[in-house]
Amino acid sequence: MKIETTQEKLTKALNIVSKVAMGARNSLPILNNVLIKVNKKKVSLTTTNLDMAVVDYLPVSNSEDGEITVPARLLAEFVSNLPKGEVIKISSKDTKIKIEAGKYSSVMNGSLSDDFPELPDINEKEAVKFKVSAEEFKIGLNQVIIASSNDLTRPALTGVYFNSDGGKLYVAATDGYRLAEKKLVDKISDEVAVIIPTSSLQEVLRSINEETEEIEVLLDESQARFRLGETEITSKLIDGSFPNYRQLIPKDNTSTVVLNRDELMRVTKLAALFAKEVGGSIVCEAKADERVFSVASIANEFGENDSKIEAEIEKDDKVTLNSRFLIDALNSLSENTVKFGFSGDLSPVVIRNNKKQDYTHIIMPLKG
Amino acid sequence: MFDVWKNVLAEIERSIPAMYYKTFFDKTELVSMGDGVATIGTPSPFSKTQLERKYHDIIKKALENNDIKVKSINYIVISSKPKANNRNIVQVIKEKASRPRDTFSVETDFSKTNLNPGYTMDNFVVGSNNDLAVSVAENVINNPGTKYNPFFLYGGPGLGKTHLVQAIGNELLKNNPKIKILYAPMNRFYADFINSIKNKRGDEFSQKFYKLDVLIIDDFQMIIGKEKSQEEFFNIFNELHQRNKQIIVTSDRLPSQIKEVDTRLASRLTWAGAIDLQMPKFEDKCAILKSKAEFEGIEIEDEAIEYIAENVKTNIRDLEGEFKRLLAMSEFRNKSPLELIQDGYISGINKGTRVRAVSPKQVVEKVAKYYQLTPKELCGKSRVSHIKNARQVAMYILSKELQMSTTKIAYEVGVKDHTTVMHGVKKIESDLNLNYGLRDEIEAIREKIYG
Repeated sequence: MKIETTQEKLTKALNIVSKVAMGARNSLPILNNVLIKVNKKKVSLTTTNLDMAVVDYLPVSNSEDGEITVPARLLAEFVSNLPKGEVIKISSKDTKIKIEAGKYSSVMNGSLSDDFPELPDINEKEAVKFKVSAEEFKIGLNQVIIASSNDLTRPALTGVYFNSDGGKLYVAATDGYRLAEKKLVDKISDEVAVIIPTSSLQEVLRSINEETEEIEVLLDESQARFRLGETEITSKLIDGSFPNYRQLIPKDNTSTVVLNRDELMRVTKLAALFAKEVGGSIVCEAKADERVFSVASIANEFGENDSKIEAEIEKDDKVTLNSRFLIDALNSLSENTVKFGFSGDLSPVVIRNNKKQDYTHIIMPLKG
Repeated sequence: MFDVWKNVLAEIERSIPAMYYKTFFDKTELVSMGDGVATIGTPSPFSKTQLERKYHDIIKKALENNDIKVKSINYIVISSKPKANNRNIVQVIKEKASRPRDTFSVETDFSKTNLNPGYTMDNFVVGSNNDLAVSVAENVINNPGTKYNPFFLYGGPGLGKTHLVQAIGNELLKNNPKIKILYAPMNRFYADFINSIKNKRGDEFSQKFYKLDVLIIDDFQMIIGKEKSQEEFFNIFNELHQRNKQIIVTSDRLPSQIKEVDTRLASRLTWAGAIDLQMPKFEDKCAILKSKAEFEGIEIEDEAIEYIAENVKTNIRDLEGEFKRLLAMSEFRNKSPLELIQDGYISGINKGTRVRAVSPKQVVEKVAKYYQLTPKELCGKSRVSHIKNARQVAMYILSKELQMSTTKIAYEVGVKDHTTVMHGVKKIESDLNLNYGLRDEIEAIREKIYG
């Protein structure tokens, strides 16, 4: 096997693939390696942790067929420390590879590609396929991932639920205390209901760069594949059932408050300082007559805090929330003016942008 | 049970490195065997691919050594959840009710009939509120166009009118796939009619209906203020009725109560009688929810079902809506439906008609806590005076607040029989007349229970 490419190109490709090979949980030593494969001038770098796999196609100026695996971290760190602009030549002999870049040269011990796991195929014809602009994908997924759980005892909540409803595709995530939903695709003809691990999606998000314009998503019964430029990420799906969450989003709010996002953020953060002792619990109260929305917290040890902001208020209402969740929700909103919907002291609070309705964030109240 | 796959695995384990064995063969199983084809289930697409591409020969040999001769091996990814096939990539099917349960033997174009195959007689729950309507519906299914023609069905929203008439359509279609049925909500009938006039195709419009064997018109009350449509409908009605074609009409009230409906049409619609659907009684509501839970394969406590049945007083649609919401919340919060109800997290049923449900267990706990006892100490036969007194208070509250039978209370607080309970409740009642302290105590406990 032989390849010839530039330091920048190789560094970029290794950056994309090597993280998966560095996982501490990798059960087989070979999973710490990257598979370098040249087949009829097509050069690919592959890593996998058996939950997901990343393949990146590397543009090369010269190549010879062959394949080998080498420790991903070592190779990535070595290459990234070489001077920029240098032409790098890699060649393999048995289980060793030789890396040459001008006056730098090194030999690394690798291993044969036979032991490297084969990647599952996806049946292109039968898979559900759709495309999303990289920008929308990035924004949308970041807005929902924030609500996903890392509680391994409830695996279904450690992923993002891609689901179709009324010909539109939505993504949703929850940890059992809050839930975020975003409309991702306006028109989809197939029925979709799959849970994709959050960790895999984070890898996809990480691989998006300024050159990525569009992401193609392929889904079958057991896996999801994302294609973005030269990179292809394949992930298993989470086997489990996602809560029937649409039932949880209150349809009518008992009272809706329209207010400035930054102001609400500021008072929430102020209140949160005093709420540390009580698990971040803050009390949000709306007073229609005074047109005032207040956020208060009480910490016996430090004192108390009660800040008020001006707001348009339908009706008096009050709810106790976890300040961290409210801050996360506000961070995910994009407009300056936001809507805060009460639905009684024990039903979820609904938080949305004032104008755009494609993103919904709900938070379960704490018992006051 | 003897599992040959375990033997096969044991053999494979010996022939490949332990780490690889553990990584790729863990959680695999022999799903099926037959006709020389073995199907092996794997937990993920990654392990499937390894088994298929790298370990196929080893697996085949191990199977043969265990006297399983296979021509081919099929590898699949198994899941604990049912999977849909074809292009619908759905991990879990939730809305089973909206899907057909039986596949019809002959292919029928549902789009032409407008019927939703998910509505069947099987999943229509029969109770005292609708048994008459159901028996008439069955009559119509067995003898369309005869005794109950037209079949006029009325009742408030969300009581199952649409379900029942669509189920009739689906059953008729199952009995005779060639039968020509059309289901049309009144507003669609009206819109089509207007369109046909606009396009000067009025004749075609009525011809379409004259060809039918069964016409189902839903929400007839929408005819208000649409004189021309009414006339057209009247003509179609007469034509079909004369030729003994079955007509089924639903409405939220009797035709005579709909303003502007021609009296001749009104009387004709109810020729064969008007059957109404009523709001189900408490027991019916419980039955509906239980059958729904069974249908969806969900476990839910009887108390939770009773709580919803008790508190939803509007209609079946709301009843099912509240039920779905509770189940969704239960999945979301990872708590059982009853726990959620007890925690008060299911609130706002029908806006304000909520009665907080309290379980007997909670009452016992609260009473015990008030008297600084554990529930275990409180329940039982201890004759220590303050414990006995606390136990009697618990009996009193269970009897007055929860209206439980004395036998049930006896079971709940662990006393011998209902006479002990009767005695206890009477004792507290008489003490209350004299003892103001006790009155305050009970009031405080009440607050704790409901607060």
